[in-house]
Amino acid sequence: MSERFPSRLDAVLGALTALSMAAALYMALVAAPRERTMGDLQRIFYFHVSAAITGMTAFALNFAASLAYLVKKNRRWDNLALSAAEIGVMFLSMVLVTGPIWAKPVWMVWWTWSPRLTSSLVLCLLYAAYLLLRQYIEDPERRAAVSAAFGIVAFLDTPLVWFSIRWWRDLHPSPMLETGGLAPSMRPALWISWAAFQFLLVYLLRRRFCLESMRDELERLQRLAG
Amino acid sequence: MKEIWAIFRKDLLIELRTKDSLNAMLFFGVVVLVVFNFALESGRDSMRQAAPGILWVAFAFSGTLGLNRTFAAEKENGCLQGLLLVPADRGVVYLGKMLAASVFMLLAEAVIFVFSVVLFNLTVWAEIPYLALVFMIGTLGFTAVGTLLAAISVNTKLREVLLPLILFPVVLPILVNAVEATNIILNAFDSAALRLPLTVMSVFTIVFGTLSYVVFEHVLED
Amino acid sequence: MEPMRYLFAAYMAIWVLLALYLYSIDSREKKLQQEVRRLKELLEKSRPK
Repeated sequence: MSERFPSRLDAVLGALTALSMAAALYMALVAAPRERTMGDLQRIFYFHVSAAITGMTAFALNFAASLAYLVKKNRRWDNLALSAAEIGVMFLSMVLVTGPIWAKPVWMVWWTWSPRLTSSLVLCLLYAAYLLLRQYIEDPERRAAVSAAFGIVAFLDTPLVWFSIRWWRDLHPSPMLETGGLAPSMRPALWISWAAFQFLLVYLLRRRFCLESMRDELERLQRLAG
Repeated sequence: MKEIWAIFRKDLLIELRTKDSLNAMLFFGVVVLVVFNFALESGRDSMRQAAPGILWVAFAFSGTLGLNRTFAAEKENGCLQGLLLVPADRGVVYLGKMLAASVFMLLAEAVIFVFSVVLFNLTVWAEIPYLALVFMIGTLGFTAVGTLLAAISVNTKLREVLLPLILFPVVLPILVNAVEATNIILNAFDSAALRLPLTVMSVFTIVFGTLSYVVFEHVLED
Repeated sequence: MEPMRYLFAAYMAIWVLLALYLYSIDSREKKLQQEVRRLKELLEKSRPK
């Protein structure tokens, strides 16, 4: 597969992604059963949760790529780490936007400080910090090394953040409960949504990674041109 | 081992002689206390409820100042190169600086705390040992990851300005647990309930202390 | 039905975010491709015959 420019495989991947997203949309909006208390509004859940899971997957990838960079010192790992972080932030933004849209009609408030929403906010800030940090380091080798260090810090921090927020929530409970239980009849829709989002993740990673490779190519040419 | 001590002593002595950052840290911490007094309604009871959060905000800002100074002074005087020549594991530089930063932060916290007792009319004699424990572990956790991030940020375009931006999201578990632990001590005393936050903060300190020690050399400018 | 409005808004938000991101990748790609092409031509021209 050519690294620098999207290839035929990418087109196939793109088509698969589009198809699976369409299927997921159908499952979520039409096929899934109507929820008892919240009605059709609950259908946001499938994409909201899938986005959260996929965002976390992206961050896990960033962790692996950061580790790989520190060990191998190959810049391609840094490109992957950057792509994963950026896409993860995008997915978490989806969570942070759909969360309030869901919360407002159900609980009359835009923000519920629920564990999932709060953790998503903090994690989004954490990886936004990763992206911000990169902006202010000019030397590519140093940027890669420092970002890798911060990426590892961020990922190891994640369970501690999650746990701390959960505990804090237990100490200060709120009347707004997030849907805990998932009726078995809703599982297929969730699975398909999750799968569609995974395809989307792979597709976006591929595109973003190609972009970074292109940038490396540009730098190489710039150096040649003097 | 003696290299760690050497770096620690150096930072400590320089600071005790000049008192550059200590003064700034103390001043800033107290200013935060005063500002919060105006930001929140002040009644005797409510200040005790609000104290944990206010204290740790003051500590966090003050600590960030101290962390910045740990590396900024070196960078200004071109000493970072000198530090890199230390014939030992780079992690040793990290440990020395982390310990020094912890000492400064704890000193600042003690003074800020005394001010808060006065300004907010708190009675805390019985609680002091527990508070000391929480302050100590919280500070160690803060500096464990803060020293690494300070070393990173001082070498970026934004320099010290970047540190709070990258530190605060990372150090959130410490802040949450420390505030709640302080709250438990001041407002709903239950020593069994303290075990969880103290454990989480200790785990945080160990995890990030170890990680920073290992990763520190990758982060120092060559 | 009021809740349907919110449901619609939520799904639209997802598509809009996705579309924006894809668009940003696309436009960055185009710019880079232009630059790469330009530099390649430059290098071709300056190559000693």
